[in-house]
Amino acid sequence: MKIERKSWTDPVLIGSVTPLAAVMLFFFVIPLVMTTVLTFQTTQYYRLAWTWDLTIWTEIFSKPHYWTIMLRTVSMALICVVLSVLIAYPCAYALATRLKTYSTQIQILIIFAFLTDAVLKTFGWILVLDNNGVLNWLLAKVGFPPETLNLLYTPTATMIGMLYNLAVYPMFTIYLSLMRIDRDLILASYDAGASRLRTFFEVTLPLSKPGLYSGAVLVFVLSLGAFLEPRVLGGGTSPMASELIRQSFETRVNWPLGAALTIVLIVIGALTLAAFGFFTLRRKATKGGAA
Amino acid sequence: MSDRFKGALVDTMLIGSIVLLLLFFYAPIATLVAFSFSSSRVLSLPMEGFSFEWYGELLAKPDFLPAVTNSAAVAAVSTVFATALGTAGAVAWIRYRFRLQRAFQVVTFAPLLFPQLLLGVVMLLWFSVLGNWLNFSTGLVTVIIGHIVYITPFALVIVAVQVFGFDDTLEDAARDAGANGWQVFREITLPLLWPGIFSAAIFAFLLSWGNFYVSYSLAGTARTLPIFVYSGIAVGSSPIYPALATLNLVPALLLVAFAEFMRRRALKRQSAAVPTA
Amino acid sequence: MPTPIIDAVDIVKDYGANRALHGVSLQVGAGEFVALVGPSGCGKTTLLKILAGFEDPTDGGLKIQGKDMRGVPAAARPTRMVFQKLALFPHKSVADNIGFPLKLQKVDAPTVKERVRAMLDLMHLKPEYLDRFPAQLSGGEQQRVALARALVSQPSVLLLDEPMSALDAKLKKSLQAELKKLHREIGTSFVLVTHDLEEAMMLADRICVMRGGNVVQIGTPTDIYYRPANMFVAGFIGETNFLPVDVARKGDAATVSSPLVEGQPTDMPADHISPDLTDKGPALLVRPETIRFVTGDPEPGLWVLNGMVDEFFIKGSSTQYRIRVSGLDAPLVMDLPGSIVLPAEVGQAVRVAFDPSRAFLLSE
Repeated sequence: MKIERKSWTDPVLIGSVTPLAAVMLFFFVIPLVMTTVLTFQTTQYYRLAWTWDLTIWTEIFSKPHYWTIMLRTVSMALICVVLSVLIAYPCAYALATRLKTYSTQIQILIIFAFLTDAVLKTFGWILVLDNNGVLNWLLAKVGFPPETLNLLYTPTATMIGMLYNLAVYPMFTIYLSLMRIDRDLILASYDAGASRLRTFFEVTLPLSKPGLYSGAVLVFVLSLGAFLEPRVLGGGTSPMASELIRQSFETRVNWPLGAALTIVLIVIGALTLAAFGFFTLRRKATKGGAA
Repeated sequence: MSDRFKGALVDTMLIGSIVLLLLFFYAPIATLVAFSFSSSRVLSLPMEGFSFEWYGELLAKPDFLPAVTNSAAVAAVSTVFATALGTAGAVAWIRYRFRLQRAFQVVTFAPLLFPQLLLGVVMLLWFSVLGNWLNFSTGLVTVIIGHIVYITPFALVIVAVQVFGFDDTLEDAARDAGANGWQVFREITLPLLWPGIFSAAIFAFLLSWGNFYVSYSLAGTARTLPIFVYSGIAVGSSPIYPALATLNLVPALLLVAFAEFMRRRALKRQSAAVPTA
Repeated sequence: MPTPIIDAVDIVKDYGANRALHGVSLQVGAGEFVALVGPSGCGKTTLLKILAGFEDPTDGGLKIQGKDMRGVPAAARPTRMVFQKLALFPHKSVADNIGFPLKLQKVDAPTVKERVRAMLDLMHLKPEYLDRFPAQLSGGEQQRVALARALVSQPSVLLLDEPMSALDAKLKKSLQAELKKLHREIGTSFVLVTHDLEEAMMLADRICVMRGGNVVQIGTPTDIYYRPANMFVAGFIGETNFLPVDVARKGDAATVSSPLVEGQPTDMPADHISPDLTDKGPALLVRPETIRFVTGDPEPGLWVLNGMVDEFFIKGSSTQYRIRVSGLDAPLVMDLPGSIVLPAEVGQAVRVAFDPSRAFLLSE
């Protein structure tokens, strides 16, 4: 790949960079700034008042209610990270090492499911998890008492939905790192006398860490914003941050509050990303870029 | 336990994990398809009979077809913009080095790391403020803008992979053969990046078609299909949604089949290498 | 030489602070086959890219067919290139690959087809290959398609950037023979970049040996082999011996002597002295095949060295001995014809002799 150094006077560079940069600047960066600005305003009689004070932030920091929900959101996100990596790793490993002939077809199947309308899929889960749903019916068929599992409208159902929507990300990041491992390294490890298990833990796993970590971070950040799952599958009984944000916009028509809660979530996500970036950069510096 | 047996056990477990994953991914989808043909209004098992009546009822719903048209229009326009912007961006990401490139990369990649709902909310606030000043309200246009912001990074990453694997001596070869800048682009660069651009477009279309969060935040009173379903199931479950889900799969299946066909054709041409004599 | 097709004068090329070419001059005549040879990083590929128009020289003049090439893009030059990795367009059929330069010149379709056919014949490719894609061809066939694409628009110079470096030895030999034949048939000037001096000697009319961005020697293969400018050129050809000597010069003549050998100071014939001879590390270039074992008193005029057999290699048609001689850093290499009778064992003390007046005097 030839790298071309371009100056900002080059029309080719201007043509390829500015439209996208403008879209992102105007519809992503400026809105973020706007959201931050809004957190310093207040509402009076359901209307925005441009006041520039810290009312909203004092409210947020003084009410434990918000922090309970934030804490729940973060814990759900962490659980989701652990479980999705546990699901994704063996699948990615199988895809990279065992099922090479069908690998493309399986990937297409996975992407296809991923791209199907999220609301419809969530509705499908209701039908599966309902007390009279497919899962309990199947369990009854194999001899369990009727209505064995009461999953729908519990945090477990929320978690199932989140895993369903997010496990794809680490699967692909891990798969990509596994595919980049030189097969000869594995053979060299066998040649040195290591068992398959030993080879996995000494060679494969460490070399797939970049994919593992980036997949985990992606799941964490994206699960902070889970909304459909807690609302539709969790039945709103244990709301997560997104529900709080929705309420502050729709029910309470308190935009500054909604904006502030959004900023809190974004900051949590951004800090996680920054920490991840910091650690990977430091590892690179100490290990000479091996990771 | 012999090594051979252990090996076989590991193989079985690994393949089993993929099978389980696919079952997990397709459980709700298969359930929806099955229920769409049920003759009962109550969505419970065992199913009573086979019928197409829910498809009829779905089509008879007055707000169904407008939602389809809206979704199609949004997806078509977003796909064109996201793919074009993503392709240009991918080339700039990978092939060029310029001042402020780091900032460009951060800004164009960040929406991928953003929970969609928050992306929607942030944009909604901006559009509301802008709307107050300029006197417009959110609707399909804002949904399209939202989709472009959300989907372009996906398209960019997909095309970037293609750009990364691009052999630029081919461009030199074309130039040497007498091609000017535009001819090099049309005859060499574009056709060789095409598989990536094509997959990016399909991905973009399906992402937009099935998108709920961004649309939900930015649609105002307009309705796309996922919003239609969301507001429907909020009221109560009905067998028309399984029917809708099944119908929804058809165009997506066709698109994916078409993409796979194109990919195989390209593969047959470009890598059916006869071993070097 | 009549007016050269390529006339490059004092070409300088800088990459940032690095100078890749330090004022290189090269003329290529009509129908001539010139090879640019040197180790990697010597500037040969840079020079080729400047001729093709992919790089602009920092300084110096370049004329092709008498026209100044400054600012003329690759597309507009009467040169065509065969790339190191061939650069066949994977998405175009063989016919479209070969016909591409003509298509760009807006040649009408029937003519393109005809000329592509003709190229196919010239390259000994079967007509049914026209509809295949590059990936469906073998390495040698791809090579021929790349040549066909470069030659179809009848350039006056064909530039070849190590196009055979990736092929296995046997295929390389047969393609080298074909390339030489092709050059004879079509009479286009060829400029070949290679790091393989043997290949250059086989193919080229003239060889330009480069090192570190400079031309070390330009000459016919015979010149390069028998009259190398210095130790670098001589060492590049293959395994050989350099015996350090003391030189007493009288005008053009020189007398050489060495404390390492038994033998008289010898007058070197004028044509066995490098014109580039300097005081810096003068040495005799002694070819392995000119050394032999001696027992008893050698003929007068020979120089004799005492040593010990370090190792020997049976090469089939010959046997190579490496003799360790005290006072010499590298073992002396000698090639004896045949490999049935082995005259010495490893570790055996031996006497070897050669005729210094048949050697070649040069310096670092």
